Order: sequence, then C-alpha cells, then structure tokens
Amino acid sequence: MTTQDDARLREDRLVFYEADMEQLHTELDGFLELSKSRCAMLIDRDGHMVTRRGEAVESSSESISALIAGSFAATKEMARLLGEPEFAVMFHQGQRDSIQLQLVGERTLLAVVFDERTNLGLVRFYSQEATVRLGETFARIASEVRDSSLSDDFSSAGAAALDDLF
Amino acid sequence: MVQINFAQKQINAKVVYYGPGMSGKTTNLEVVHQRAPDNNRGELTSISTDGDRTLFFDYMPLDLGTIAGMKTCFQMYTVPGQVYYNSTRKLVLQGVDGVIFVADSGPDAMEANLESIRNLEENLNEYGKSLKTLPHVIQYNKRDLPGALPVDELDKALNTFGTTTFEGVAATGQGVFPTLKGLAALVLKHIQTECAGGSSRPGATNTTGFHPASQAQASGAGTVSAPPVGGAPTKSNLDLHPAATPAPAPAPTGAVAPQAQSGGTAPAAAAATQPSAARRAATAKAAPTKPAKASPSKLMQTQGNPAPAPSTRPAQRTRTTAPAPQIRRGQGGSGAKTAAFVVAAATVGAVIAHFVLSAL
Repeated sequence: MTTQDDARLREDRLVFYEADMEQLHTELDGFLELSKSRCAMLIDRDGHMVTRRGEAVESSSESISALIAGSFAATKEMARLLGEPEFAVMFHQGQRDSIQLQLVGERTLLAVVFDERTNLGLVRFYSQEATVRLGETFARIASEVRDSSLSDDFSSAGAAALDDLF
Repeated sequence: MVQINFAQKQINAKVVYYGPGMSGKTTNLEVVHQRAPDNNRGELTSISTDGDRTLFFDYMPLDLGTIAGMKTCFQMYTVPGQVYYNSTRKLVLQGVDGVIFVADSGPDAMEANLESIRNLEENLNEYGKSLKTLPHVIQYNKRDLPGALPVDELDKALNTFGTTTFEGVAATGQGVFPTLKGLAALVLKHIQTECAGGSSRPGATNTTGFHPASQAQASGAGTVSAPPVGGAPTKSNLDLHPAATPAPAPAPTGAVAPQAQSGGTAPAAAAATQPSAARRAATAKAAPTKPAKASPSKLMQTQGNPAPAPSTRPAQRTRTTAPAPQIRRGQGGSGAKTAAFVVAAATVGAVIAHFVLSAL
C-alpha cells in the first residue's frame, strides 16, 4: 500500500475512540468555563457532529451542524475571490444568542454559542487557544493507527434494518 | 466521509441526491421525510429561493437505527440542479459517501441529464473520487410523463458504470424508498469493506490485502450485480405506498413504463412542476434560520455588557491561558532564567488580556 493510498484511507473516514472523546470533552469544558459560553460543538467540515458540550441548543444539533458546515464552506469561495485560501473565523450575531465558527486544523469546525453572559472578545480570545490544542488532538487522531473494524454482519444487519424501516 | 465514533457507538454517512434542475431531488427527500417513522427522521431543512427552487441544499438526517451495535445515521442532502449553481453543488458533495442520481425521464431532458452526470463526475474528481468507485444508484424519475424516454435509452446514456437503476414517480412516492434502500445497502457494504482494511497505516503491513481503489470498486457500484442495459428493475422497484394517492391522469403514451401505468400517474404538468405545498412548508420551517441577523448597534451592546467580576475567575485560568510552551520554544530555551522570564511575561500578559477583554 502506498503512502498515497494511506492518505486517502484516512481522508475517507474519521474514527474516534473513547479516549479521544474524553480529551476533546476536557478541552471543551475548560473552554466553556473560561469563556462563559453556552455551548461548544465540534463539527466535521462534511456536516457531521463530532461532539457537543454545554447547554443543549434548541433546535436539532444535526441540522445546525449541516448548516454550519454549509455556511462555512460557502465563504470559501468568497475568500478565494479576495485572494485568501479561506476564512478561519466566522461570526453571526443574534438578538439573544450569537455564534462564532472557527476552523480547527484541516477539517473540523469549532462552533461556539454564547449569549449576554459573555462577550465576543472573551470568546475569541479563549477559542484561539482552544483551537490550537484541539487541532493537535485531531492531527493525532488522523495520523494514528486505528482499528475501525465493524461487525461481520454489519451490512446484512443494515439491509434487514432497512427492510424493517421502510 | 464516514465518521465512526466508537465512544458514542455511532456511524454517520453522507448521502446526496444529485441531478438536473427540476428532476425531483427535493421531492424524493420530501417523500422520505413524510413517510419515514417519526423516531427515525430529523427535521427537513431547506435553503431555497422564494420560488421554491433549491438555493443551497435541502437536508434531513435519517436514523437507520442500531445496526450491529452501532447507531447508524444518514445525513441526506440535495443539491441545486441549475447549471449556474455548480459551486454550491461542489460544496455539498464534499465528503459524500453515496449518490442517488435522479434523472428526468422527460422527452426533452436527455441533454440536461447528460450534462448533470458529467458535472457530477467532474465535481467528484475534484475531491479525488469517481462514480467508478463511489456507491451510487440512478433513479429514472417522472416515468408517468407522456413521451417519457425509454429506460433502455436512458440507461445506455447515463449508466456508464452499470450500477443499479430504479424507475420512479417521486411526486406520488413511487420508487423513492426502493431507490434509497438500494443506495443504503451499497453504502453500508462499502463502509464495512472499507473498515475491514482500516488498520493499515504508513509503515504498517497491509495484512488484509486491502486496497482502497480496488476494494471500493468491489464493494460499491462497480461490482453491484447490475441489470443489463435496458434491464432496469421494473415492478419490483416501485414503491406503491398506500399513502400515494393516484391522481387522475391523461392516458400515458406507449413509451411510459408499465409500472407507471399500474402504479397511478400524476398529470404530466403536475409532475413537471414539482414544487409542492409540502416543500413550501419545509421552506417555511427553515425560514427562522435566515433572519438571525442583528444590527451593528447590537454588537456594541453585547460587547458592552458587564464583564464577569475578576474575582470569580479561578486561578487555574491564568495557567491555562498562558501560551508559555510555545513561547519557550520560540526563544530557543537558552537558559533557565530566560525561560522563567518568558513564562512570567506570558502569564502576566494573559492575565492582563483577560482583564481587558472582560472589561469591554
């Protein structure tokens, strides 16, 4: 297997173990405490939620993840027109809640929901530090040897589940 | 890309409905949303124009349930079909794990179908993927249209890689679920095969003999026992759902597939103009996400909120915020005194920054 094949394998999926999640949660909990934000979500650039800490957001977290990944991707073209590879940070302000999106490493986004209990400067200050450490964690996850074997009957059980569902 | 979370025992995969404009991609997703069990479906979110045309994407999470101990979810997207929204289509394809190509069977739609499937392949290539290896199925939609193109002709033109095809009338729900099940089976098989070789990494011996390209082809579209050209599944592929109320229709022409005749047909005009009340409702549901904007004055208000009292900050905060390790490395570590000075300076700086930011 060539190095290129391996790189493609890693690009094809992300695998998380219990220890990874604990490390990510510790980092996010510390960030939430310092920044006094409501909620922090780690979202894959494809739109999949990796994990979430803090208060639950009102709407479906899956839908929010998809929209966040979509809006972040959409600004890439805007950045390109300005000669930037992409924008690393985005911010949306609402009447009650605001959200800051920040790129973590190559393919993950940190979405922070916060309200009047804190302010943008504080959130941005601590998120800059948190993303460095989170980026290191994701880089390690992407580079490590990972056994992601599934049960032998995964696809056949899946077919049966689909028959039951529809 | 597939996300496998062993901590949460969850697998997420991304499925995209692709095809030319007005071919029925959003209608397919709406039918899935309407008929999937409440416990398994998420909210249908649409980012569309006032005219109900998809602007960015439609999105719906679908929970397939726990499969072999793993909660398996499909994140389902549609793309805008119009030619000039290609950059948007490309964005939605990022990390895709399976594609349902919804072709329009209309007599004048062949060129649009060809353009769209070429565009799909081009966009996949930009992500290092290809229909040759990516799990995909094709749905020949609008089989109830008078003068619908023969399946043989569509198959010959569009089914380059001999994948499984389905006939459908998405407006009435026919063929929607067989198509989805067909793709889901391919995607799940692909995931399992891919993960079977997942322990290989640089420097490690590939004891499984797994090779991404060949293996993906073996598990995905390339070797799915596809029907021969012109042999697309017919009646067995139709989802004659009881909820699909057949509408009175003009007699189809001889070119209409038999299942369309037996399964209830919608008027051609209605099928061609698929924006429905359900779609408008979905758009309205998504509407609250759009106006979440605020005036610049609000920004000032938020930034001017009283900051938390410094006394409430735990001492640990100072240590956490100090980027001392990086700075130490940057200084080259020439001596213990220098390092200690840098650490102290960084700590003081971080404390000051925190106070300043909190006071804003």
